[in-house]
Amino acid sequence: MRLQKLLVLIIGLITTFALVAAACGNDDDDGAAAPSTSEQQSSGSDAQPAPAGTVSGSVTISGSSTVEPISVRVAELFEDVQPDVAVTVDGPGTGDGFKLFCAGETDISDASRQIKDSEAEDCAESGVEWVELRVGIDGIAVMTGESNPVECVTFNDIYGLVGPESTGFGSWSDAGSLGLATSDLPDADLDIYGPGEESGTFDSFIEIVLEDIADERGQDATTRPDYNANADDNVIIQGIQSSDTSFGWVGFAFAANASGVKLLDVDGGDGCVGANANTIASGEYPVSRSLYIYVNKAKAEASPAVSAYVDFYMSDEGLGTAVADVGYVNLTDEAKGATRANWAGR
Amino acid sequence: MAKARLVGDRTNKVMVQAMERRSTDVRGRVFQISLLVTLLVSLFILAVLIVDVVMDGWGILTGRPGGFLGGTMRSLSDDPKLGVHQALVGTFWIAVFVAVLAFPIGIGAAIWLEEYAPKNRFTRFIELNIRNLAGVPSIVYGLLGLFLFVNHLEGVTGGKSIASAGITLAILVLPIVVITAQEAIRAVPQGLKEGAYGVGATKWTMIRSQVLPYAAPGILTGTLLSMSRGIGEAAPLLLVGAVSGRLGRDSGFFDFGDINADAFMAMPVIIVEWVQNSGRDPGFAEAAAAAIVVLLVFVILMNATAIFLRNHFENKRG
Repeated sequence: MRLQKLLVLIIGLITTFALVAAACGNDDDDGAAAPSTSEQQSSGSDAQPAPAGTVSGSVTISGSSTVEPISVRVAELFEDVQPDVAVTVDGPGTGDGFKLFCAGETDISDASRQIKDSEAEDCAESGVEWVELRVGIDGIAVMTGESNPVECVTFNDIYGLVGPESTGFGSWSDAGSLGLATSDLPDADLDIYGPGEESGTFDSFIEIVLEDIADERGQDATTRPDYNANADDNVIIQGIQSSDTSFGWVGFAFAANASGVKLLDVDGGDGCVGANANTIASGEYPVSRSLYIYVNKAKAEASPAVSAYVDFYMSDEGLGTAVADVGYVNLTDEAKGATRANWAGR
Repeated sequence: MAKARLVGDRTNKVMVQAMERRSTDVRGRVFQISLLVTLLVSLFILAVLIVDVVMDGWGILTGRPGGFLGGTMRSLSDDPKLGVHQALVGTFWIAVFVAVLAFPIGIGAAIWLEEYAPKNRFTRFIELNIRNLAGVPSIVYGLLGLFLFVNHLEGVTGGKSIASAGITLAILVLPIVVITAQEAIRAVPQGLKEGAYGVGATKWTMIRSQVLPYAAPGILTGTLLSMSRGIGEAAPLLLVGAVSGRLGRDSGFFDFGDINADAFMAMPVIIVEWVQNSGRDPGFAEAAAAAIVVLLVFVILMNATAIFLRNHFENKRG
């Protein structure tokens, strides 16, 4: 009997919870209806006194998920200037983006690498002419604890420390056991902290550092699974600080402001290079890559919305503010000039 | 007779034992308690999930509920315009498509299979296939949607649009609707049907006046549960045009013209997207939790409607 009463009580509680939740939901909905309509009204009234030279239309962008946040951020800043231009950005990946771009389905393609010859042929076949614009740099800082004697690591070293074949390695010197030519690493505890699979930095790190070596050795291009993965860069930095012989990586823009960690030099084949804004912007620092947008020339010609958007992209708000806002490294002034010249001379 | 006698004997014996020994039914008690434990375990997991997600999203949900429900997709988590309005509109329309397409077709198919179809190899084959279809991974339906509705019926659906997504998800839940409706119709007592025939009803009148009203609560529960499943799907939507970065337009709930406009957003997709964004901007984790709560409330509201309607029909049934 008592058990039955308890059951009744539990079921009653669940029902009450469901009802309360439903009631709250109603409140939420009521709250939603009001502000969203008022917002639409206000955006409508904003549009009326807009200055001369306003354009309207739509811009369709697809491509790299790494570049996606930059294009979205540019669109958000652009919205304040040209509220009637609807910019839609998708991020299925650089390759998929170029397929759509060369089929003429998108106006702009985001890319975390330059267009491949085969992709350029597809574009040529369907008569899509494009202009390539370098917009920013994705740099990744490789770090360790402040008092670690190691100063510089090669790509082989990194592969030996965190590559797919290093699963279970507990010491820095274990990296040499894979038969790769590695630096002389100390026999010290190896504590690894890095971004998890959901992070774009995780993918970039694999593509830049690990992929080629893994392909050569017939391995999957990924990291070892047994490290401290975290989505929050702050937690990764704290982890690296907590041990003298830690190893880890985060996006450069974030690491640049961190204290209590040592940024390792990286040797990508041309000697050890330290990570700083200059070496990344110049491309000397090897764990970095340029980010591009490709603009369909004919569409930019035909649509004032597309050309106005790219014009804005080329401004300091685009190449400067937007790129930095979402955590990437700005181009040098010289490189910005080259990009702008490319756009102007299309 | 002999059998009845035997049962009577055994009952007698048990009664006598119970009276003599006054022992409690230990095994029955253990069984009852273990059942209660299973209930508590599942409730506990549910409670942990809900408490965790509500706590994570609390800041946004209480801080700016209107702004969050009215906002759009943004690149930075501390943007005051960040919100789920576009995704809510998308999910609302997908739910409408599922209701308008999957329910009548599914219930119609179920009535035919239960009441009209001859019981032969062919119908058994169809039923078997419907059951198999209910277990097909959702991404396969996404591929179907991409091939059929996005590429080949672009003229009707507008390509990668909310219409393509709605039709794809309607097809995804169709087998579940058919199966649950069949079960509900099968549960209608034979006596009711025979009674209707007895007073001279035709088959159609019998189905309309007896079978459907009696089966309505069961059909309703099944269909709305399948809708809850449908609007929680993210994978197929990514193939038929849900965008991951930014959606240029912010349609209202009743902007019919945008149903076949290019690109759309939906709640499950925005949740996936924000969880991924949390890698670059940890504040998105909070936004994702808040979006999960909004989706949960949406589903609870839908289920509450189902329960209300079911009670309504049950009362009518008497």
